[in-house]
Amino acid sequence: MAVSAKPKSGSSFMKRWRAVESQEARLAWTLISPTAIIVFGLVIFPAVFSVWVSFHDVGLNNLNDVFNAPLAGPDGLDNYRKVFDDFAFKFQGLQSWGAAVTSVVYSFVATIATLVVGLIAAILMNRPFRGRGLTRAIFLIPYVAPVISMAFVWRWILDPRPSGVLNDLLIRLSVIEPQESIAYLATRGLALALVIVFEAWRYFPFAMLMILARLQAIDSTLYEAAEVDGASTWQKFWNVTIPELRYVLGAIFLLRLMWTFNKFDDIFLLTSGGFGTKVLPVLTYEFSFKLFDFGKGAATAMILLAILVVFMAFYIGIVMRNIEEE
Amino acid sequence: MATKSPERMNIIDQMAHLFSLRQIVFAIVLTFFLVSILFPFYWMVSSSFKTRAEIGGRTAVYVPEGLRMEAFQELFDPNHPSYQEFGKNIINTLSVSIPTTIVAVILSVLGAYAIARLRFRGKNVLLNSILLVYLFPGVLLIIPLFAMLAQIGTQVGFEVQDNLAVLVVTYLAQTLPVALYMLTNYFRTIPDEIEQAALIDGASRFEVIWRITLPLAIPALVSVGIYTFMIAWNEFLYAFVFLNNGDLFTMPIKINTIFNDPTPRPNVVMAASTIMTIPIVMLFLVLERYLAEGLTAGGVKG
Repeated sequence: MAVSAKPKSGSSFMKRWRAVESQEARLAWTLISPTAIIVFGLVIFPAVFSVWVSFHDVGLNNLNDVFNAPLAGPDGLDNYRKVFDDFAFKFQGLQSWGAAVTSVVYSFVATIATLVVGLIAAILMNRPFRGRGLTRAIFLIPYVAPVISMAFVWRWILDPRPSGVLNDLLIRLSVIEPQESIAYLATRGLALALVIVFEAWRYFPFAMLMILARLQAIDSTLYEAAEVDGASTWQKFWNVTIPELRYVLGAIFLLRLMWTFNKFDDIFLLTSGGFGTKVLPVLTYEFSFKLFDFGKGAATAMILLAILVVFMAFYIGIVMRNIEEE
Repeated sequence: MATKSPERMNIIDQMAHLFSLRQIVFAIVLTFFLVSILFPFYWMVSSSFKTRAEIGGRTAVYVPEGLRMEAFQELFDPNHPSYQEFGKNIINTLSVSIPTTIVAVILSVLGAYAIARLRFRGKNVLLNSILLVYLFPGVLLIIPLFAMLAQIGTQVGFEVQDNLAVLVVTYLAQTLPVALYMLTNYFRTIPDEIEQAALIDGASRFEVIWRITLPLAIPALVSVGIYTFMIAWNEFLYAFVFLNNGDLFTMPIKINTIFNDPTPRPNVVMAASTIMTIPIVMLFLVLERYLAEGLTAGGVKG
């Protein structure tokens, strides 16, 4: 069965060795091919195909015959032009950021907030106290619960009517009058801030787990040495803990930024992208599945991906290298 | 712990001072975290037992009068005037998430075994390109997927929209890379010698995987299984785009539909959300020990 693909002169031992090797390789490819086919067929190929779609005119009318779709404009760049000219996309001053700027601001602030909250939670969990195991499990709940339930509970807590929980609490505390109830998720600025808070609330457990694992691996002699030098708690945190965590913080930042930038569900379910929270994934969805202009949608997605790739290249090239060198 | 500079206060006083201050800050921060996590859950569960009157009142009702089943009746009782047939949605969700889980576990075991144990050319390229999935947003993939599957569908003769099997395949594409990664890392921690010994004794590769590797990898299999199940159970975007027929809606899509109904019925939305959330949180709490590791190892995409 196992015949070496390349007949080469050599000792019979080498031949047999090659045969074993190629048999092993064949088995490996057999084992991994179902996964590879599914992932390539449904992720890598579509990703490449969406580049093609972004240069063509694809709508509901020719969706069934997509490979013969006409080029978008004489040079195929019409979809991109349409996106760049769209008022939902472009920056038009501080009152109306447009999806590109909103996306960048939202992702960065939300990622940093997630990191900070995760760091605080990890420091809490790093101290022994009674019920720590249960508390840690509870802390993970926002992360595992379905986004739809969590988004809708939040929407209701932030309900604009006086009977909304937050409004009700503020009225009871006499901070606001019943007629002054706040439409939290329908106020420009505030809506974006709350979506960021939601993001930090929902995803801090991921950061917490990774930071906690690293915290528990820090060599305690480092702290002892710092104590001998008379360092305060704050100094120990700043000069021992943070440097030790730098690498893991950098990795979480990159991962979370990537995922937040690509995130669709959270904002769509909380605000439907209204009131200054329209990010690029939501805009992509709207172009594709509300206006059914798939070419324009794909162009938006490509712009999203381009921003992400440029940032990642910069980050990995400069920031991570600096960390390693130090 | 203690600061090394005894000044005006003596050390014991100073320590007590420092200690209690720390304790207080610790307690406040911990309470803040717990309240902000548990209150939304309390609100979801308690609201599902509220009546229309309690929900629609002028002020918020924090504790429902009693355990009213009004909302659950609307979801499950065929005699209710606006019966939602939620049972059907639960079955739809299960018939997507269970096959996804089973297939993902089987395929990722095979793939991870190949990567962890066998030598072959192109391994690293393959692994890295599979992990590229992390980079692509779901919204980017859904347009070409939609067009591609529509094309294939018309030729092979299957319906792309309203086909739960299409959902299973797309969920597999989303979860397999992470499953593969998690399992590969785990297999690498299992010593190779036992397997080698079995191979020398004449066992086949599949026997080795089945009899030796798998039993040792049960914790990892559990965490991969739960992880895929969770993703498939919670998924919103693909189901939202691919399903139009209300009979095939999975739970998230149904909840979204009830939420956007012209007559708002938050108690029904909360009841449905509770039904959807409790099993997954329970499953997670029971198996937390396995999962926490898996979550960080695979860096669950989300």
